[in-house]
This record gives sequence, structure tokens and C-alpha cells, in this order.
Amino acid sequence: MLDGFLSGLSVVLQPMNLLILMSAVFIGFVGGALPGISGVILVVILLPVTYGMDATSAFMLLTAIYGSTVFSGLITAILYRAPGTPEAVMTSFDGYPMTQRGEAGKALGIGVLSSAIGGLVGTIALIVFTPLLASVALKFSSPEYFALAILGLTVVASLGGKLMYGLIGAGMGLFIATIGIDPLTGTSRYTFGSLNLAEGIGLIPMIVGLFAISEVMKRATGGHVHQPLTKVNVKIFDSTIMRKIAATLSRSSILGVAIGILPGIGASTAAMVSYSEAVRWSKHPEDFGKGIPEGIAAPEAANNAAAMGALVPLFALGIPGSGTTAIILGAFIMHGLQPGPMFMASSSELIYAVFAGLFIVNFMILLFSKPFITLFTKLLNIPYSALGPIIIMCCIVGTYSVRNSMFDVWLMLGFGVLGFLLEKLRFPLVAIILGLVLGPIAESELRRSLAMSQGDMTIFMSRPISATLIGIACALLTVSILVPLYKRYKKRRLYSESAS
Amino acid sequence: MSSKNNIVVLTSLGVAMMMGAFQVSASDEAEDYPSGDLEFLVAAGAGGGTDNFTRTVKPMLEERLDTSIKVVNLPSASGALAHQRTANSEPDGHTLDFASSTLVTSLAAGQNPTGLDQLTPVARMQSDVMTLIVNPDKHEDFEAFKTYAENNPGEVVIGGTHAASPDKMAFLSFRDASGLDISFIPYDEEGSVSSNVLGGNIDGMFGEISSTLSYIESGDMKPILVFAEERLENFPEIPTTVEKGWDLTDGNERGVFVNAETPAEIVSQIEQALKAVYDSDEYQSYEEKVNLHYREGWMGSEEYQQKLEENLELYSRLIEQT
Repeated sequence: MLDGFLSGLSVVLQPMNLLILMSAVFIGFVGGALPGISGVILVVILLPVTYGMDATSAFMLLTAIYGSTVFSGLITAILYRAPGTPEAVMTSFDGYPMTQRGEAGKALGIGVLSSAIGGLVGTIALIVFTPLLASVALKFSSPEYFALAILGLTVVASLGGKLMYGLIGAGMGLFIATIGIDPLTGTSRYTFGSLNLAEGIGLIPMIVGLFAISEVMKRATGGHVHQPLTKVNVKIFDSTIMRKIAATLSRSSILGVAIGILPGIGASTAAMVSYSEAVRWSKHPEDFGKGIPEGIAAPEAANNAAAMGALVPLFALGIPGSGTTAIILGAFIMHGLQPGPMFMASSSELIYAVFAGLFIVNFMILLFSKPFITLFTKLLNIPYSALGPIIIMCCIVGTYSVRNSMFDVWLMLGFGVLGFLLEKLRFPLVAIILGLVLGPIAESELRRSLAMSQGDMTIFMSRPISATLIGIACALLTVSILVPLYKRYKKRRLYSESAS
Repeated sequence: MSSKNNIVVLTSLGVAMMMGAFQVSASDEAEDYPSGDLEFLVAAGAGGGTDNFTRTVKPMLEERLDTSIKVVNLPSASGALAHQRTANSEPDGHTLDFASSTLVTSLAAGQNPTGLDQLTPVARMQSDVMTLIVNPDKHEDFEAFKTYAENNPGEVVIGGTHAASPDKMAFLSFRDASGLDISFIPYDEEGSVSSNVLGGNIDGMFGEISSTLSYIESGDMKPILVFAEERLENFPEIPTTVEKGWDLTDGNERGVFVNAETPAEIVSQIEQALKAVYDSDEYQSYEEKVNLHYREGWMGSEEYQQKLEENLELYSRLIEQT
């Protein structure tokens, strides 16, 4: 394995291949930073270009773009609350408040460092454990996915703010997730006969609307609500912060890899679950959402680790772990390669070159992100009266390009207005996104589990992994409900004692 | 005088030419075809089998028709938007819909409002082979599978993609023909189906041979029944549906459609151009690369139309029964 990696490294270090990697990272940076342009779209656009290249260079290019877009979504998420990619939504929750406090450089630095570490952990896991992890991923079937989604949803109880708002928000997300053709029976739900709704509400129009558009509206109506940002000094290595986020980083990276390897669940879900767990394990969960370093470190380490993890089943089994990897799988076939259980053995040279390329890409992210961000933040000198419309334009073009659908653009603008109103009510947008992303997994996997067991509910308890996950979810839910109750009880007793 | 005469003669000649031009405009249109750029609508997302098919055909057809082509992916609603837009386009053969069998399966399931009367199939170019694939740890061969299913009614679970897909239709028609009491779980992605079969969580799946070839070669999956008239040259050991006495031969097919009002001359012109593409070495080597060469893919406009109508009738009946 080490031999393979070293020979892969020697392939990557050829000047031509290094140049390819560098341009891939740059393309990924630009694409990832633009709201709506996700890794999937970039890979699709560049796919025809790679047909003329040899397979090794082609896949180094595609996977490097894939890796760097997952990273660069955080730039606009932190600076303008306009997540460049769906993976970066969670990053805006704590990143943007820091920008508003004038700490954009600090927030970006944390993001870059967490991404690179998450990416490295993911790549190392990919190189060392691919065959092993792939067999673990196969143990996950519908009951386990259901249990995982439930575990993620229970965090609503631990989120700060009013519990009732959290529940309503999650319910709203769950409801929106049911719109469209039922994946199991093919029945139309809440589509009102419209073909545009048949596929359901897309994640991109919803995220771009709720976050980016609503923020532009807020700033347009509220005047200059925060200090103007003229200078952003990105500081990647800050020892006090590094010590503060070390625990979050290691937990989130491992969690990211673990979720990333599961087929069908991508980096966005990983970022979400990781953020939820960071809230749950934090000593001060109420500070999340107000701009704390852990709130950036958790999703960024996890999404980059998960992006690499999603390549595990692709290389080991020919099963894509996410949307972008599904397209990379198609590209393998177009290049005449045969991904599948024999892929590692039959194309080991290519695979190790790709692994080595990804390894280098994570260092390139560390190295090049600072100049890129500096370039990008020059935009901050543009007055917001010009920048706001530019952001809206990018959002429209990006949203349209996902499905070539004007309907999605209107939907996105509608969600912009909704997000604007909900924020006025201090409604937790996290809960809505949580419901939207985890809802479809929970619903359809519950029904698939029951179809597997012919309606027998004990399937969730008879399978060890799902039983453990559901057990943890129940325990955590009980704790998060009982602890505040106990605290209130103690406070009341104290109060009545002091009164008497 | 002579100049005056000339003017009269020229004018009348001009008028006559204009009149003539109006009269023969229909066939002229066909002669001029294509009069501008073409648009290919892909009834699927970017990167999948139908998208690859479209993008492979694009440069080959551009060369043959001497025009340029724009490709637009319309994946929403299983491609129903692409069919609708084609049916509403100018009937001049400049908007082509590249679709898979999902067109007819979603029509049968009531998820696609554009009927076969609104679209004319120009040609079928790919015909993938549907197979019943199992985890060899669970079932050794078709006889063992069948015996197990007969002895354990309701317990055998088969996977596939989506609720109104060619996989689902294969399942319904197989269950209908064999009389076995088995059930189907639709998954969102093909990868999820494969991983559930590999992990032994379900008994097997309906799927195309092209996409599972690597698992078959590694021995992690085993095709036990092919939907075909005759045994496949490359897989002579797998029994066929027809030899078991079931007339089931449909797999996932991919073809090209235009607005139903397109003049017949233009349809046949596109058909000829596509046939030339199909017969080219370049296209055939692509088919081989993506494992679609196991059986003849080509089917002309009329024959394909008839086949689609038969399929629709069968699928509608099968869905009604459930």
C-alpha cells in the first residue's frame, strides 16, 4: 500500500500533473465560491474536456475539483451568508455572525484549517482503510439509515432558542420534504398537478433563498447593520483557537469519514450531523449560532472528510457515495474503466495516483486559499448597493443552472422572502434545514425497512447497528428533556426555600 | 416596348416563382432541413446513461447534418418536462427529445402527461438487457431462487430504482408471469440497490446487465435470468425468460423523439441520419465500451412506435392490477 502510494505520488509530482491539480484547485475555488455552482455542475461541465486526456490525469482533475469545491463553499457562506455549495450551509450559522462582528479573517482561517484537516483525515482513511471501510458501509441498510436520521433529528431538542420554534421549524422542513412524487409508491404528494413540483423542492433553491437572498433583503432594508469590512486578514494558524477547536476537529473529522462512506448520504448531511453533535457535546450549546469557532470547525472538518469518505465505496465497490461521485463513476465508464469490486486490483496505479493527488490537494488548499480569499475579499470594498445585486444575480444564475428550471428560480426568490420573515421572528433556520435534509431519509428508509421485514417493527431492534443508534438517540433525547426540567425544579426549590 | 415587355415577363415570372415556392414549401422545408441549430433535450440528469448517450450522438450528428447542437438537461419529474417541451415545440424537427424507457413507464404510472400521440419516436438506438440478479450467497441459480420463493411466500425482497422505472415494470411483469409471491423495494439510486444486494440485505435486484458487469465478474452478484428471446452470446449459462415460457423481453431502451406534428419527410431524414450514426464504427465502439452491445439497439420509427404502444398497454395493465 505504501509502495502504491509512493508511486502514485511520483506520478502526481510530474510537472504536467501538478499543473493540472493546481488549475483544478483554482477552478474548484471559483466554482465553489459562487452560490448555486456546486461540485456536481463543475464536474459535469469539465467531463467532456477530460475525454481527450489520459485516464490518470482526467481523474486527478475531476477529484481535485470535487475536493476543492467542498472547501471553497465556505468563503461566501462566511462573508455574505450565501453558501457557495450546499455542503457549506451549516458553516454560515456561526461564520457569518463572526463576520458581522468584524472577525471575518478569523472565521475564514478556522474554516480553511478545519477543511484541510478534515480533508487530510478523510484522504488518509481513504488510502489506508478503503477495502475495510467498504465492507462496513455494506452493513448499513434501511434500518440503520433510519436510525441515523432519527439520531440527527433529536438534536432539535438541544438547539438553543425556543423549543417550540425548533419543533415547528423541523416540522416545516419535514413537510417540505414530502412534496413531490412519493419515492416508494409513485403517488404525487402536494404537487397540485404541476410537473415542476413532481421532483420535490430542491435543496439548492431552498438554501440559496433562505440564506443568501434573505440576507441581501435584510441588509437592503436595515441599512448598514454592521461595520463595513475593509480588510480581511486571514489567519490560518492561531494556537489559542487551535487548542480550542482541537476536540471538535478530531470528532468531526472522524464523524465525517464515517458518514461519508455510507452510500447515498453526502457531505451536506455529514456537515449537519457534525454540527448537531458539536452543539450536543458542547459545554455552552447556547452560544452556537452566535459566532463561535467550534460552529465553523465542526461542519467544515466533517464535510471535507465526508467528501473523501464518499470516494471509499466508489473505489472499493463501484458504488457512489454522493451526487458528485455518481458522475465520477459515469466518467470512469466513459473512459473504458470498470469500477467495481475488482477496481482496486485492476487499476491500482490509477487509484493510487488519484489518492496521492487528493493528498496534495489538501495542502494546496492550505497554501492557495489565503491569496484566493484576499483576491475575493477585494470585493468587500465594493459598496453593498452594488454587491447585493451581484449576489442576487449569481444566486439566480446558479439556481437556474442546476436543473435548467425557471421555476426553481422563482422558488428560490420565494424562499428568500420566507427566510427574511422567519428571521424577523427569530426562527431557527437550522431546524428547517435539518428537517428538509433528514426527513426524506427518515421517511423512505422507515418504509423500506418495514418492506424488508414484511411490516415487523422489531427489525430496528434486531439489527445491532440500528439498535445502538436508536438507543443513543433515546438516551440523548431523555437527557436533553430531563436536564432542563431538573434545573427548573432545583431553581424553584431554591426559590421557595429562600422565600420561606 | 421590349423593355416594358421584359418587365411584365419578369414580374409574372417572379410571381409564378413565389406561388410555386408557397406550393412546395413543405417539401422545401424537408430539403432545407436543418435550417438552423438543433436543440437536444435530455430527459435525465447530467452524467447518467441517457446523458452520455445524447452527448455521444451530438458531435456525430452535428457532422452529418452540418449544424450545431445545443444540449439541455431537463431531469425534473423523470424527464416529463423534456417530453412536454418537445411536444410544445415548433414541429420542424429542430427540437429532439432523448429519452429512455422511463418515458413510457412514467406515462403508464400517470407521472408524465405527454402521451405517445403527442410525440413521434424517430428511432430506438439502445436496448439494454434486463436481468434478475441475486447475491450468490442467498440463491445459487434460478431454480433455487424459484423454489425458495415458492416455499417462503412473501419473504423474497427484490430491489430496483424508482417506483415507475423499467426495473419496476420488469418486476411487475415477472411476478405476473411467474405467479411468485415476491415484493419490490424501490431505491432512489442504483448504488443503493447494488449495495443492499452486495450486503445481503435483500435477495436480489432487477437491473441492466451493463451496470452490474463488474460485480458479476468478481462473483459478488450473479445474474440468474435474462429477459431475452435467446441466450446471450457472452453469458450462455444464464436461462432466458422465453425458454421458461414467459414472453418478457423488455429492458431499458433509449431513443429519440420529436413533436408528433413534425412532417414525415423530416422525421425520416432524422431517422436516416441517426441510422448512419448508429452504423458508424465510432458509435459502435462506444456501445461496446459501455456494455450495450449484447443485442441490436436499432429500431426504426414505425416499429418503435408500435412497440412503445404495446409496452404502454402492458404496463398500464400491470400497474392497475397492483
